[in-house]
Amino acid sequence: MSVQDGALMNMQAAAEAPLTTSRQAPGQSGHAAPDKAKKRIPYGQWAAGALILATLGAFAWSQAANEKLDWPSVAQFMFHPAILKGITVTLELAVFSMLISVVLAFGVALMCQSRNRVASAVGKLYVWFFRGVPLLVQILIWFNLAVLYPTILGRDTNELISGFTAGLCALSLAESGYMAEIIRGGILAVNKGQTEAGLSIGLTRGQALRRIVLPQTIRVIIPPTGNQFIGLLKASSLVSAIGGSDLLTQTQLVYGQNFKIVPLLIVATVWYLVLVSVASVGQYFLERRFNPEGVPARLTIRGFFTRRPTGQQQLRKAGQP
Amino acid sequence: MVAADVNKWLGSNHILRGVDMSVEAGEIVCVLGPSGSGKSTLLRCINGLESIESGVISVDGDRVGFKTHRGQLYEHTEREAARMRRRIGMVFQHFNLFNHMTALQNVTYGPRHVLGISRAEANKLGLDALNKVGLGLKKDSYPAQLSGGQQQRVAIARALAMKPQLMLFDEPTSALDPELVGDVLAVMKRVAEEGMTMIIVTHEIAFAREVADRVVFMDEGRIIESGTAAEVLDNPTNERTANFLRHVK
Repeated sequence: MSVQDGALMNMQAAAEAPLTTSRQAPGQSGHAAPDKAKKRIPYGQWAAGALILATLGAFAWSQAANEKLDWPSVAQFMFHPAILKGITVTLELAVFSMLISVVLAFGVALMCQSRNRVASAVGKLYVWFFRGVPLLVQILIWFNLAVLYPTILGRDTNELISGFTAGLCALSLAESGYMAEIIRGGILAVNKGQTEAGLSIGLTRGQALRRIVLPQTIRVIIPPTGNQFIGLLKASSLVSAIGGSDLLTQTQLVYGQNFKIVPLLIVATVWYLVLVSVASVGQYFLERRFNPEGVPARLTIRGFFTRRPTGQQQLRKAGQP
Repeated sequence: MVAADVNKWLGSNHILRGVDMSVEAGEIVCVLGPSGSGKSTLLRCINGLESIESGVISVDGDRVGFKTHRGQLYEHTEREAARMRRRIGMVFQHFNLFNHMTALQNVTYGPRHVLGISRAEANKLGLDALNKVGLGLKKDSYPAQLSGGQQQRVAIARALAMKPQLMLFDEPTSALDPELVGDVLAVMKRVAEEGMTMIIVTHEIAFAREVADRVVFMDEGRIIESGTAAEVLDNPTNERTANFLRHVK
């Protein structure tokens, strides 16, 4: 008998005898106790995992023990009032510019989709410009607005434009360019049949777009919008170029005085990571709220604020487990 | 509804070639034909969802898509086109219910926001319409919670709630499981019995035979044959019609 015959016979025997893993209780089938296959222990994976952990651990240890990093200073400044003030400003910049840009972006997206050629051209020009000019350049231009408009509404421009307000304007407009494209994508994602159904009951194209399609875009828009918000949290750091009082500006102020550059940058790094992580978790819950199992109860913004039972709760009401 | 010498091109595709068709008030007309014959396109031209290149389509004497002012023909503005579409109800192959609204809200949306009926009255109207299609209990369900047949019946109720003069059905049962088709056809029969003018594009021959006053067979953008159900379905004079029917039976 050759080796192949032996292997073939083994395979046949294995095919005929019912296979169970060691998890199944023996003797349940009523036949003679089936062969139990032993679970293979992945030694290779364990070894690789251990090696990776060991390398990371060594790296972490070397950093922790590195005196130059001055961990005590990091701890000292982590909750320093100046830093905390900077975090507040960063949050304000991100939140307010996101809100403003969303409002602008809905308008711009509708313009881009409009049948009016002037409107759609202007909309597309807007997007092209505000996505095209680098954010830092936009921030600097806003800060130097006094050159273009020495007075605004009778007030001296230099008084009105601070690092914060210039940063807010620049962030809002730049972000609105991206948000407009996201919203437009959401509009295109809604089934064409929805528009046709709206038309068939006597709505105009504009009415169908605003009343039927837009509410349904919310669900599609949330993941990319969450993404953009996280981007805003980080992009806000650029206002440090004009002294916008955000986290990075404050960090630079502090180490400008005490020259503890690296510890303070670590503080800033940690805080940015915290902010971004919280935002990510928030996005997860927001997505869940707009997409409960099967029941689009919160497909609209109004739906977000009402307390209607989710799919699971409705099933429970109906008596199913 | 009168369609006279209607032609439509899509790019270089001559979709409708000189279609002549007329439907009297209260008549039920079934349009049959292979896919690509232009049946759905014709339907969508009737309520103005698509535009035609030549020919005239009019509903109840009013021309679809155009108006005459002091002897000069003008294209409808979006508002005028929408006003025209109010009088014509349409039921789609893929239901197209508004996903973010309940069944009742779907049905009452038109009456409330297009016809300007008060909320209380619209709700009553909507409930009646839903009861008529047998789905009164499902008034607070969302489309995602309804079966295909139920969704289509809500769609029919939604079209009915606008009290149209004419109803167009674009292959209403083609996207349904065979078991659910019967429910929808039963509802359509009820609508027909109440005297609605209906133009139905369908593949359901048995339904056409039962309900239709007239059957029209289309192929490659032309109406090949037209007559009563008995004439066209049982004794087709045109060979193309006979071929088609042989396959569908």
